[in-house]
Amino acid sequence: MKRRYTIIVFTENNFGLLNRITIIFSRRRINIESLTVSETERKGVSRFTIVIDYDETKIQKLIQQIRKIIGVLVVFHNEDDQVFFGQIAYFKVITSSFEEREKVMEIAHRHQAKIAFSAGDYVVIEKTGKEEDISTTLHLLEPHGVVEYCKSGRIAIVKDQHRFSKYAKNMDPEGWYSDEEFHELPLNGKH
Amino acid sequence: MSIATENAQKIAVKGNTPKHDKTNKIVSGSEALILSLIEEGVDTIFGYPGGAIMPIYDALYHYRHVLNHTLVRHEQGATHAAEGYAQMAGKPGVCFATSGPGATNLITGIADAMLDSVPIVCITGQVPEKFLGTDAFQETDVMSLAMPITKWCYQVADADEIPYIVAKAFYIARSGRPGPVLIDITKCAQFNQLKKPFKYEKRRQIKGYKPACKPREKDISKAAELLNNAKRPFLFVGHGVLLSKAEKDLLAFIEKTDIPVASTLLGLSAFPTDHPNYVGMLGMHGNYAPNKLTNKADVIISVGMRFDDRVTGNLDTYAKQAKIIHVDIDHAEMGKNVTPTVPLIADAKEALQALLPVVNENKHESWHLEFKKLHDEEYEKVIKKDFQAEGEHIKMAEVIRRLSEKTDGEAVIVADVGQHQMSAARYSKFRRTDSWLTSGGLGTMGYALPSAFGAKMGAPDREVVAVIGDGCFQMTIQELGTIAQSGLPVKIIVLNNNFLGMVRQWQQLFFDNRYSFVELSNPDFITIAKGFGINGQRCTHTDDLDASLDTLLNSKEAYLLEIVVEKETNVFPMVPSGMGVDDIRLE
Ligand SMILES: Cc1ncc(C[n+]2csc(CCOP(=O)(O)OP(=O)(O)O)c2C)c(N)n1
Repeated sequence: MKRRYTIIVFTENNFGLLNRITIIFSRRRINIESLTVSETERKGVSRFTIVIDYDETKIQKLIQQIRKIIGVLVVFHNEDDQVFFGQIAYFKVITSSFEEREKVMEIAHRHQAKIAFSAGDYVVIEKTGKEEDISTTLHLLEPHGVVEYCKSGRIAIVKDQHRFSKYAKNMDPEGWYSDEEFHELPLNGKH
Repeated sequence: MSIATENAQKIAVKGNTPKHDKTNKIVSGSEALILSLIEEGVDTIFGYPGGAIMPIYDALYHYRHVLNHTLVRHEQGATHAAEGYAQMAGKPGVCFATSGPGATNLITGIADAMLDSVPIVCITGQVPEKFLGTDAFQETDVMSLAMPITKWCYQVADADEIPYIVAKAFYIARSGRPGPVLIDITKCAQFNQLKKPFKYEKRRQIKGYKPACKPREKDISKAAELLNNAKRPFLFVGHGVLLSKAEKDLLAFIEKTDIPVASTLLGLSAFPTDHPNYVGMLGMHGNYAPNKLTNKADVIISVGMRFDDRVTGNLDTYAKQAKIIHVDIDHAEMGKNVTPTVPLIADAKEALQALLPVVNENKHESWHLEFKKLHDEEYEKVIKKDFQAEGEHIKMAEVIRRLSEKTDGEAVIVADVGQHQMSAARYSKFRRTDSWLTSGGLGTMGYALPSAFGAKMGAPDREVVAVIGDGCFQMTIQELGTIAQSGLPVKIIVLNNNFLGMVRQWQQLFFDNRYSFVELSNPDFITIAKGFGINGQRCTHTDDLDASLDTLLNSKEAYLLEIVVEKETNVFPMVPSGMGVDDIRLE
């Protein structure tokens, strides 16, 4: 059965790693729902947050293949209940009259969105939250004339601190998992 | 002295590479590359020059007595030669090529090395950095091409990176599960002087890269328990046994446990074929007994193999009754195709050494009898018929049988891809390890001729015999020139059936005899060889078979023996694609 997975990959900050990671997906004809690459608090380490819908019997094989890439330091996957996650969206809404503007700001306010920017005849509304919240906001703003809309990929924080630090410690100095930890990494068909 | 004999002599005296005295000197990027290769113990390079790699070739000129460079006739030949060399010499093979077409010509061989876990290091020249991305003359984005088919690749634009990157490349290529790496070096990085004096340090680890780990005690005891209680245990040998040089450990393990042993295509020669426990080859054209009994075994221990689809056939019916102990160095192989009961992530040698003291001494006579019974059936229905040679009807299998007899199972057999490959795999006898090279994973036609040449470079003392189909031969036939120029006595057998035989077989069996573009009208191979300066003869009659094989084997120089074989013979047994291993057909 297909499930939604948030894959978190920590890598060295090298040329070509993005390419190397994405070909793992394209080769298997996996559609990437969203992809975010960012710097981390560790120097020279990047964080990839990749969201896919994928077969639960195959996800572990995919993770094992990503782990094999040289330059990948850590990789693990999470189901939605294992991470706190969100996205950010911007909506450019035309506000030709003062009343229009009042209405739009009112909607934004009710939905915990904020006015990020305003110009003479439009405002930019910023909304962070889950996929559904963002689409609700879009839905409500649409009648007022959304002329431009964009949404970021998902970013996610791992809820279980123990689970995260178990992986994260392998990013530290030179070297990697101990033999024991390496054996303990999940395998396809075994958890 | 001819170039050929000079080359042959140079190879004969190799070994004591003179040290260079450039440490702590300022050198150019090109020279740094050459020095780094020397530091890695490289003494052999296969390559082809061109514009973007000229500074490196210029540096090489000064070191031509230390680094023996062979000029191949096509870059694909360089990669396969490097593969053959790597496997026989036991260290990474090195290729040089220029940018653009030079680099793209490497691609097939790199993909081949990737699938068969062969350590090769490819160095490509690249246009100067300022031309990158401008569609400059002979600019190809080789990094993007190489990414999915290399274990690692890297583009160098700063000369100072060269020693560090070469060290990293060699470490990656040979450690863990070996594989190909590629270093692309811009022309400026080749020309420029290093800012820091040359210093070389071998790599021992890389952040985030875990090439190998020790077997875990808990897994070893679980595996031993399964094996000790098994009634019908079965062991599969893969290429990993050869890569980790675990042949002796395997032998000791088998002598103690008495488990029947089958080999994958790439595992051949890791275990002696005349050993009483050896039951044959697995897979699509493997032997009858091991395929059938895969689905009867209660415990399977696979060592250094990856349950490739050519081995397993239909996974849904594959070894469902068996508990599987999967020994592999590559974490990503665990559960990829077959879910193991005991995943034993370790180097084959270490795993076998750890298992040996904890497995019980055992006898499995009745289980062996089951293999014997099925073998006898295969013998009656297939093997006996394969060993026929009457008048002008020579069968491939009979050629291989006689070749094996004459070489006493001691030669290195390098097989190309097709029916002749399967015949060679099925009927070669191996008494010595590292005696079999072929393109297994990619099935690259044209592999054998350059690979045989590389193998001879890597193991000059061994008899190397290439077994090639008439189709395959014409894919890399130009490497006859390389062989002639080197003066090395590579022995070449072309099994000529005037067909792309393996494809014809499929068309006959699965496409209702529609022979769609598989017939070849061939050139006179002997005349071609002579044109390259290589002697040869054509054998068309059974009466001449022995004598012509003797001439081939006794020749002190490279020699081509073309044997005209039956046109439309099929290779059996066969597991039709998509079927289960026990659906294997004898006819
Ligand atoms: C480069 C490449 N192209 C096509 C194929 C598909 N193929 C596999 S075997 C084969 C026929 C090989 O013919 P030949 O060398 O005459 O050997 P035979 O099977 O007759 O022994 C072909 C075309 C391949 N494996 N590699």
